[in-house]
Amino acid sequence: MIRASIAVLAVWSAVACSRAPKPGEPLKGLSAAERARFDSGRAQFAASFTPEQGLGPLFNGRSCAECHEDPVVGGAGDEVEHHATAFHPEAVGRKCDELAGLGGPVFEDSVTPALHAALNIEKEPVPPEATATAARTTPDILGFGLLDAVPDSVILSYADPDDSNHDGISGRPNRFLDGRLGRFGRKAFVPNLFEFNAGAFSAEMGITSPSVLDEGTVAGKPLPAGTDPARDPELSAHNLELTDAFVRLLAPPAPQRLSGEASHGRDVFKNVGCANCHIPTLRTGDNPIPALSHKEVTAYTDLLLHDMGPDLADICFGVATPNEFRTEPLMGLRLGSQFLHDGRAKTPEQAIEMHGGEGTQSRDRFLALSAADRAALVAFLKTL
Amino acid sequence: MRRVRLISLLLCCAPFALSAQQPTTPHDSVRGAIRTVDVHARTLEVTTGVGYALRVVRLQVPAGVPITDRQSAQPQLIGLAALQPGDVIRAAFGGRPTGFVAYTIERVGRMDQP
Repeated sequence: MIRASIAVLAVWSAVACSRAPKPGEPLKGLSAAERARFDSGRAQFAASFTPEQGLGPLFNGRSCAECHEDPVVGGAGDEVEHHATAFHPEAVGRKCDELAGLGGPVFEDSVTPALHAALNIEKEPVPPEATATAARTTPDILGFGLLDAVPDSVILSYADPDDSNHDGISGRPNRFLDGRLGRFGRKAFVPNLFEFNAGAFSAEMGITSPSVLDEGTVAGKPLPAGTDPARDPELSAHNLELTDAFVRLLAPPAPQRLSGEASHGRDVFKNVGCANCHIPTLRTGDNPIPALSHKEVTAYTDLLLHDMGPDLADICFGVATPNEFRTEPLMGLRLGSQFLHDGRAKTPEQAIEMHGGEGTQSRDRFLALSAADRAALVAFLKTL
Repeated sequence: MRRVRLISLLLCCAPFALSAQQPTTPHDSVRGAIRTVDVHARTLEVTTGVGYALRVVRLQVPAGVPITDRQSAQPQLIGLAALQPGDVIRAAFGGRPTGFVAYTIERVGRMDQP
């Protein structure tokens, strides 16, 4: 009897240890200290700010988790925010102006009562200098620490800006303002996760931190006196680092076991060419956090820019033209309820059908598939 | 007596006048992409930032400020007119009542050609 109990316990322990993390759980293999930082960071991620604590005066949300909430903290959201930039294709030198001097590129949709009283505005106005605006859905951020840990050299190994292999796919890297390789954001503009998080505190919540010490402007004009009562920085370096730790250590949604149909769909996914841009796995490099070091991440992206055609085009960003978007990671696709950068597709099938530009060939191959093969491909996507 | 008063007034004002010409501490630095160059007004606008929190820093570039091109193996001094939008620069600057004034500028690359 005792021997049987020990055997059951051993099997249970093995299953528990090998079980993939559920959405919202941390990466496996964290140290006790890393796990503690994840837990503390989660609380900071969920913490709601008031104007007295630094919120605004322009903001999109009161907390990180207000938007990244579905189905767990760190997940996607139904909020849509607005960006605007100016694209000047004939310009010598830079062709994209992120309108940073006029409040861009993020134009916040909410204002504090004090700013409303001072300027009588409901949101930050988009200046007439903008040539386009863009709607952006809230993606889940599960597994982003692994994407951050992929070496630049791995991403650049997939770049083929001149389509030298003549396959119709010409992924190219975006660059931040200082020339570093970008990878985060729908246009792959932001070089790393820490800056993405620090910038989000400012651009999404109007929270200053040691990384972003000033509030910025309201469409290029200084904040009216008395509209920003909290002392800067409104977020401490410690709390910024904890929030970053939570995001960094969130496990990616583990792919589900493939049914026969989904297994066939995986083959179809490759055969129609989806995997030319949605690269199934990327490998991380050296990392001070062992759980992020030399790991395979089934991200289904190359983190590069691709021309998606005029129908999806919106804003420029960095060196990305209005037509170009980063290959969206497909990990966690099964958790989503809206697809593409602005949520215009309500199903994965619609998202595929809306691919243009470099995605045209694969889209057309998908449309030419039998109903069974199309269903198999979608069944596969819903395991990610 | 009136002359003495005038001299006293000048002596009192002199330190402030001098301080208005010297950049005040602390010194700061910026690395980012040039947005605009106005050779006539000798000003630059540099876009920089963290993540999506972007800012524009406007710099005055007095004649004599060294501008170094570090893109080639042999760094060389260049003129303000040689800079153009999209160049990635590193600039040291300080504050004056009239705005930020560059001490040194280094061109280190281009956004699209790192």
